Amino acid sequence: MKITIQNLTKIFPSRNKKKDPNGAVTAVNDMCIEIPSGKLVGLLGPSGCGKSTTLFMLSGLETPTSGKILFDEQDVTSLAAERRGIGLVFQNYALYPHMTVEQNIMFPLVNMRIPKNEAKARALDTARLVQIEDLMARKPSELSGGQQQRVAIARALVKMPNVLLLDEPLSNLDARLRLQTREEIKRIQRETGITTVFVTHDQEEAMSICDTMVVMKLGIVQQIGEPQTIYDNPANLFVANFLGTPPINIFKGHVKDGKVYIGEEAVATTKVEDQDVFVGVRPEGFVYNAKGAMTLDVDHIEVMGRDKSIVSRHTSSTKPYVRSIIDSDVKLPTDTTKLTFNLKPNKVFLFNAETEERLR
Amino acid sequence: MAKTKKNTATDEMQVDLQQQESASKIMSEKIEAAAESMIAEENAVVNDEVAKTEETSFKKPSVGEQIKNFFVNTWNKIKRFFAKLFKKDKAVAQVQQTDGADAVAAKQPVVEEKLPFKVRFGRFCKAQSGWLFVLPAVVLMCIFTFYPIGSAFVNAFKQDYNSISHEYNGWGFANFARVLKSDTGTGGATFVQCLVNTVVFTFISVPLSTLLALLISVALNSIKPLQKAYQTIFFLPYLTNSLAMGAVFATFFTIIQTPNNVETVGLFNTIGELFGLQPIDWMGMASPKWVISDNLVIPWAKYIVVIIYEVWSGLPFKILILFSALQSVNKQYYDAAKIDGASKNTVLWKITTPMISPMISYLLVTGIMGGMKQYTAIVGLFGEQMGINYDMGTMVGYIYQFKDNGYMGYAYAGSLILFAIIMVFTVINRYVSKKKVSY
Repeated sequence: MKITIQNLTKIFPSRNKKKDPNGAVTAVNDMCIEIPSGKLVGLLGPSGCGKSTTLFMLSGLETPTSGKILFDEQDVTSLAAERRGIGLVFQNYALYPHMTVEQNIMFPLVNMRIPKNEAKARALDTARLVQIEDLMARKPSELSGGQQQRVAIARALVKMPNVLLLDEPLSNLDARLRLQTREEIKRIQRETGITTVFVTHDQEEAMSICDTMVVMKLGIVQQIGEPQTIYDNPANLFVANFLGTPPINIFKGHVKDGKVYIGEEAVATTKVEDQDVFVGVRPEGFVYNAKGAMTLDVDHIEVMGRDKSIVSRHTSSTKPYVRSIIDSDVKLPTDTTKLTFNLKPNKVFLFNAETEERLR
Repeated sequence: MAKTKKNTATDEMQVDLQQQESASKIMSEKIEAAAESMIAEENAVVNDEVAKTEETSFKKPSVGEQIKNFFVNTWNKIKRFFAKLFKKDKAVAQVQQTDGADAVAAKQPVVEEKLPFKVRFGRFCKAQSGWLFVLPAVVLMCIFTFYPIGSAFVNAFKQDYNSISHEYNGWGFANFARVLKSDTGTGGATFVQCLVNTVVFTFISVPLSTLLALLISVALNSIKPLQKAYQTIFFLPYLTNSLAMGAVFATFFTIIQTPNNVETVGLFNTIGELFGLQPIDWMGMASPKWVISDNLVIPWAKYIVVIIYEVWSGLPFKILILFSALQSVNKQYYDAAKIDGASKNTVLWKITTPMISPMISYLLVTGIMGGMKQYTAIVGLFGEQMGINYDMGTMVGYIYQFKDNGYMGYAYAGSLILFAIIMVFTVINRYVSKKKVSY
């Protein structure tokens, strides 16, 4: 099912209008996105950026202040949550603690007045899909975090929703389980073909499983696209900063005569007009060269096996340290702390110093 | 030279000591091993038995077997405890015996470190300091709770007990028999009447008020404006004296009758008249009743008065407890239920109620306990005579009569009977709530 969001806005009113007239919070501001049918879409952003609010508005638990939500061609903006045909997995799963796993999964079906036998059969089918058919008789408190999460997904899927919504589905799991579960979510989504929207603040998580990624900041959509596209072509400084681990290095610089200067050194060429800019360089964009264009003052080197991470300082850097990742095979001179690098042109981004928009 | 000699002498002595110690160690180890093997054997036997019993009955052992297993296990635990306790002493004793032959070693007492009494006492006090803190409460409890309970258990069995002279006429169950048969020669309420009254009041008013409290607190939880105000209003009866409340209720239900005409003044009769109902003498001499037997009448109009009173006076505490329980339920469950398409009814009975079921069970248990002890409400509504000819008597009222008339033996026996009745209901309650109260 295709989801269309048109000019969606959510304003939470000020709690005390007399004391604090300007206390209203715009959680989502004029959001317009289109989510194609059968895709896995991630809403990504730092906490407080309105991604969960968007999700709850999609689910019907929150009502938008203005704007429209369309499922296919049907306007569901004012439709009650239970009539939208959606499945929602909560951040802390919200499994009913007094019911067994089976009762939990069957609960939506019971409410739809489906006969008991059929409901049981469907619950079992769904449990098989998420591989928890052995745990049907247990109570949620007797399950591990990962298992609880599967139960929550099963409960959301059992009524065969048109749209599956996941609110930070992996945030309560440990690192290893998180990796495993995100593959699971991807697999389940592919097997069922349900349009899925999920919310996360973890860019790695979003990049690894999303078909489409929506990056948000303070209620405003910054960029929409495939994860790789966004990573390679960030629309602005915020997106560039938010994506990638280790994060991108930002330098103050300027453009003069088609050359990008960081400090006194010309590090790259560009077609941008002469102006002050922020220069973003991805950590993997540094190539060691004894006569490189850019000099870094090395602080220390972290060895990570596959590659090594050079932590260094630079006077123009906006962050305390500059991080560059180079292949572990590259031999670095040990006698000096000044190393010079060339920059890969496709890993260098220029941003307007005031608007922070990308310059191309 | 002399020094070295001395040194060698002390060395020898040390060697001796070491040997001794090692010997004693070996001995104690042996004894320990023996004790352990003994225990192990016993356990094995028990295990075999258990295994056998398990073979015969497939899943659950029968009640008899459970009891048997319990006793066997307890016996084993006791054995193990004593084995542990005596192990050290035995080891020491045996070591001393073996050393008896050795003259040198006999002079050297077996090294068993014994700290001065002061130190040991200090350490003991520090380790047990928790007891010191609860001591005042424990002492008071002993004087005012445990001693009276104990003395009730004892004196209930003294026949013709005189509470002033403490004279009695042998031991036996006569008190109980007479209390149960209402054959006490003191007149007043009868046992059957009081028991029926108490049980009816309790088992109608407690579930009713809990249900009402649940509905009110759910309603209270779902409104935002004036929530605090309503909370205060609902809690007010809790602050009111029950005798005063009784007086107010008595006024609600009054009716004034003169030989020539009937004048309704009470609230309930006035409302009833609006709907065309005949005024009822709710609480007076002419109150309608069903006569079951010589010992038992059912004054149903008075029952209604009492039940309304008890429900109303029981509500505030129950609302307070249930409301706070509701507020601690995570809101996400309601969101989840909404997404799952649950109706409001389903949410209330399938989500909310199970979530706060521990609190509901608590209210039912304590409510039934309190209901069985009901007395003040009756006195407040009907005076000390508890209705006409004691037809509204409760168990506690029945017991109080004996106390007031100086028949302490009957009062003790009555208390124990009431205790047993409450015990039975509480056990049933616990059994049910274990099955029903989840998570």
